[in-house]
Amino acid sequence: MSYEFKDLHWARDIRINKYLMPRTLDEALDFLEKSQGRAQVVAGGTDVICQLRHRDLEVDTLVDITRLPDMDGISQDGEMITLGACTTHAQTALSPLIREKAAILAKGAGSLGSPQIRNIATVAGNLVSGHPAADTSIPLLALNASVLIASREGQRVVPLSEFFLDKGRTAIDCRKEILIQIQFPAIQSNQGCCHLRLSKRQSLTIAILVLAAVVKVDPQKKIIQEAAVALGPVAPTPFRAVEAEALLAGAPVSKEIIEQAAESACAETNPIDSAIWGSAEYKREMVKVFVKRGLENALIEAGALVD
Amino acid sequence: MKKVGLAFKVNGKAVDLEIHPDTMLVDLLRDRLRLTGTKEGCREGECGACTVLLDGLAVNSCLIPALKAQGKSVVTIEGLAKAEGQLDSLQQHFVAAGAVQCGFCTPGMILNAKSLLDRIPDPDDKEIRIAISGVLCRCTGYQKIVEAVKAASHDKGQTPQG
Amino acid sequence: MNEKSDEKKKVATLTKERVDLQKLSRILSGGLSVAGQSAVRTDGRSKVTGTQQYGADYAQEGFLHGKILRSPHPHALIKSLNSDKARALPGVVAVLTAKDVPGRNGFGAIIPDQPVICEDKVRFVGDGVALVAAETEKAAQEALSLIEVDYEPLPAVFDPREALKKDAPRIHEKGNLLSDNKLRKGDVDKGFAQAEVVLERTYQVPFLDHAYLEPDICMAVPQPDGIMLVEGPMQAPFTVRRNINAVLGVPVNRVRVRQIPMGGGFGGKEDSPIDLGCRAAVLAYRTGRPVRMSLAREEVALQTCKRHPMIMKVKIGAKKDGSIVAFQGVIYDEQGAYASLGPVIPPAGGSHIHSMIMMAGPYEIPNVHVDAYLVYTNHPYGGAMRGFGAPQVHIAHEQILDELAAQLGMSPLDIRRKNGLRKGSATATGQVLDQSVGLQDSLEACAKRFDWDRKYKNRGYVDEQRTKRRGLGVGMGWYRTSIGIAGDACGANVHVHEDGSVLLFTGITEMGQGAYTVLPQICAEELGVCLEDVRYVTPDTDMVPESGPTVGSRSTTLMGNAIILAARQVKKSILEAASEILAVPADRLEARTRKIFDREAPERGITFKEAAAKCMATGKRLIGQGWWAPPKPSLDPETGQGNPYFVYTYATHMAEVIVDVETGEVAITDYAAAFDVGKAINPKALEGQIEGGVAMGMGYALMEKIVTQAGYIQNLSLRNYLIPTALDVPAIKSVIVEVENKYGPYGAKGIGEMPNIPATPAILNAIADACGGRIRTLPADSESIFRAIQEAGGPPHK
Repeated sequence: MSYEFKDLHWARDIRINKYLMPRTLDEALDFLEKSQGRAQVVAGGTDVICQLRHRDLEVDTLVDITRLPDMDGISQDGEMITLGACTTHAQTALSPLIREKAAILAKGAGSLGSPQIRNIATVAGNLVSGHPAADTSIPLLALNASVLIASREGQRVVPLSEFFLDKGRTAIDCRKEILIQIQFPAIQSNQGCCHLRLSKRQSLTIAILVLAAVVKVDPQKKIIQEAAVALGPVAPTPFRAVEAEALLAGAPVSKEIIEQAAESACAETNPIDSAIWGSAEYKREMVKVFVKRGLENALIEAGALVD
Repeated sequence: MKKVGLAFKVNGKAVDLEIHPDTMLVDLLRDRLRLTGTKEGCREGECGACTVLLDGLAVNSCLIPALKAQGKSVVTIEGLAKAEGQLDSLQQHFVAAGAVQCGFCTPGMILNAKSLLDRIPDPDDKEIRIAISGVLCRCTGYQKIVEAVKAASHDKGQTPQG
Repeated sequence: MNEKSDEKKKVATLTKERVDLQKLSRILSGGLSVAGQSAVRTDGRSKVTGTQQYGADYAQEGFLHGKILRSPHPHALIKSLNSDKARALPGVVAVLTAKDVPGRNGFGAIIPDQPVICEDKVRFVGDGVALVAAETEKAAQEALSLIEVDYEPLPAVFDPREALKKDAPRIHEKGNLLSDNKLRKGDVDKGFAQAEVVLERTYQVPFLDHAYLEPDICMAVPQPDGIMLVEGPMQAPFTVRRNINAVLGVPVNRVRVRQIPMGGGFGGKEDSPIDLGCRAAVLAYRTGRPVRMSLAREEVALQTCKRHPMIMKVKIGAKKDGSIVAFQGVIYDEQGAYASLGPVIPPAGGSHIHSMIMMAGPYEIPNVHVDAYLVYTNHPYGGAMRGFGAPQVHIAHEQILDELAAQLGMSPLDIRRKNGLRKGSATATGQVLDQSVGLQDSLEACAKRFDWDRKYKNRGYVDEQRTKRRGLGVGMGWYRTSIGIAGDACGANVHVHEDGSVLLFTGITEMGQGAYTVLPQICAEELGVCLEDVRYVTPDTDMVPESGPTVGSRSTTLMGNAIILAARQVKKSILEAASEILAVPADRLEARTRKIFDREAPERGITFKEAAAKCMATGKRLIGQGWWAPPKPSLDPETGQGNPYFVYTYATHMAEVIVDVETGEVAITDYAAAFDVGKAINPKALEGQIEGGVAMGMGYALMEKIVTQAGYIQNLSLRNYLIPTALDVPAIKSVIVEVENKYGPYGAKGIGEMPNIPATPAILNAIADACGGRIRTLPADSESIFRAIQEAGGPPHK
């Protein structure tokens, strides 16, 4: 362990030469192209500015996409809910639609940082950070969301299950592409969800563990038809406990299956030791507790368990 | 580095400047406009001492490039007083309740509280604590700050809206 | 003959002053008009409007930016340094190394063992190796990166017990043991032989950071007449001055130091401004230009002093009836790389000896044996942090007392009732407390406010699934007023003007605690004017008398006394003038809120202004000077017996927590704190201190820790050094208890530090009660509590 120069002598400034605010998507993509990899997309900026100050990111130009039209709406069309990429965490947390139809996302968004951060940080920014505990990434992963990415080559849809590649690395190249929309199916009446967060204090802090669970039950509310169990940080990326989900799929609702699923999820994860945020062993134990509680609460909400 | 034009409103007044693109809002306010009521405590959005209102929303100005405020309206602690020499209700109650000690977090606290009261005129203690959860205070233990905001919220009927 | 009568006069004066001192606590029968009121802060308005100027708010034009090149190694020799490239950079005005320090290349609050610029070796990561001054901050930053230093890393040591070993790397020439102190009262072996229950435990507490919101900054401005002016946020302007004059090699009166009101201090700014001040002054001296040196938040964590980490071994013995018969303690007090505020200033100054004195707690114990070792390591160093060595030892004695009570089947309150200090008790240093001992009062007041008895019956699981369990904890504490050095004293000047307005000059600084309000309150009370008539002059070493530092909870009491004496000197003239105007003897006159009236005929009076104008017109003295020193401290260097501090404050805190026994998370659901302060000069401000102190003590209990790895701090930022937010701190019920201090202004004693001390053990005790898990290595974060529950064999059954 040792420090580099920048860890001993802290700069205040960010080193950029240009801050551009395009008015159309075309203009934005144009700026990116002309900068030949020396520009980066920024929305709220709360991550990017810190990275620039820490010299973890070196670019000449920032392309601020918050003035692009149609980037910050929340709407529902049939079963699908669409979030503009520049929707802030505050807007997401306070949206009546999200609170009703995607409560885990409202809760997740509402637990990030602080009110000031939530007022400006965008859900898209949270996704592209690629952080394994990113507060909207985990619920969106459980909601089977997908993102719409625009580039000079056109637009492509990437499901979140394929979006997170490694810690801090996602399927989008923010020097060339722009994430413009997030989409996911609304939670239905035969579903229930739960969001749990463990942290060292109640605000302004990265999570030690986040869980977002969604369960779908049969009309008699006796069988778990489907379950989504998303967790972080228990792996380099936001994580779905697919083996636990497989155990749950089609299983009758019972205390035993919940405990089995919790054990399975724990075994699937691979958290790391952190001198500051906690040991791997503790995180694994908490996975068990959270998956158990998360599934119980989600099933209660779906009407399949009594409180 | 080429300078760029920035036109925005600060505390109700139009401001038109040429700035370097790497200028952060906190530095523009403090060093260039000499509005030093906004403080710098950490430079990474963790302490909230740099809070200003950007189009009415509380944000950490240390993380906002000044150009992001293009065409927008910024309110700092200096812009809160109703008229010359007359304090805003929150300011009055902060003083009366003993919610000010070293005062470094005070502008950030007041602006976050203002942002809350503009949205929720009659908040409960939990809502107040959430609203100020992004400003760290090492002196007060937050208690009298919560009391001050509560008292100011009861005032809303009497004090003229701004 | 004349000499003899002069001597007699001197003695008479001394005696009279002594009598006067005991009347400091006297309150006139009419009560207090200004002191004792919850007066609104004098600086409240400027702080809520943003017009209050802190150090960084001063204009930067004309200043060079100063920066420090820091060592990347915890322990290394400096083989060579080349600054040619840095010097050649446009905008760089100076690059200084050790040879450029004009006077003493060393600074320190007690021992000047820290180099202004390291010459041959570095002792911690962040040690200063060169100084740069440049026209812009960017140029200064770049210049730092161009200085080439060749280091030869040395083996380093990071644990005080390791550092005491014979073959440990030697950090300073004199060796790693900085101080070795003993306390011996009675016969502890005999005591343990008599004990019917004996417990032995070890506790470990980490480095803590003050995390004041305002980062450090200092400005050094060479004056046209050759004086060096240094200004900035600081708690100890005189300590800063006496370091700078030595570093510059000039007499004390050629340096002027001015305090700028602080955005928090908590003891950290007693030490850090010495560091920045000396360095900025050297740069200003060499360049002849004003230099501004400001630290980024991460640099504050890197470079400035911390709370001392400790390893504390405790052995306690008691009889079955709960009376404690023996207490044995060993303290490994980690000083870090430099001495700062750790070492002993005879007889009882410095944080280390204070820890030793406080170790056995506020309890009457006949046999006490403490060995305390202050040890250098290659870590950042310990300084002063709110409590100055007391918070750490309270974590040990309050927790072991709870375990003792449990073993004896006694309630945690009863064991404290049985052993807690009372008037007439003797402390571990053999000091007989002859006055102002409100410990038991604070216990009863707290228990009442908290509703301890009823709550005690309601402990246990709160949910059917038995995942959350409620518990209660108590923490008692005591803390000194004054700093226990032979030279502890305060001076104050009061100037009254012909229109009745007043200037108050003291060296006590404002860091949020309210000195700028409370001290004028005392002045106004004693003079007989209103608070708004008194303007407090910001401490400037050219203008105010030597006052010592704003530390040790000494300001209200020691400075308050000096102010009263100064005010009385002027008041003598005022009353004389009024007596002449009213034709009433001066001893019948009373001055209160701008009126001077005949006590026997209160409607007969004049205004303070009229009396002041008359004094001015007739050449009567309108300048008052007060000097107050506490009764001389004493402490035997071999036995630790004596009277180290002249009075103590006492407090009891109680906490109710709910622990999630499956995750280890804690929520504090109720909290009460009772505090014996002798007399509250400003009750509302005092509540604020209590509430803030509890939050700080809570942070120590639950979440604060400077994490180091091989000497490198892992959490320099507020993102990963966590202090409580508004959603973490509960509502706090505070109770003010007043057991008059004969030697304090209107009966007052110190305030600033006590509030955070009992909070930590109260919460730790509550956690243990709730879940059965004892945390002896702090902080009690959720993982530690989870493990402690496992180690206890699982959560409680009921």
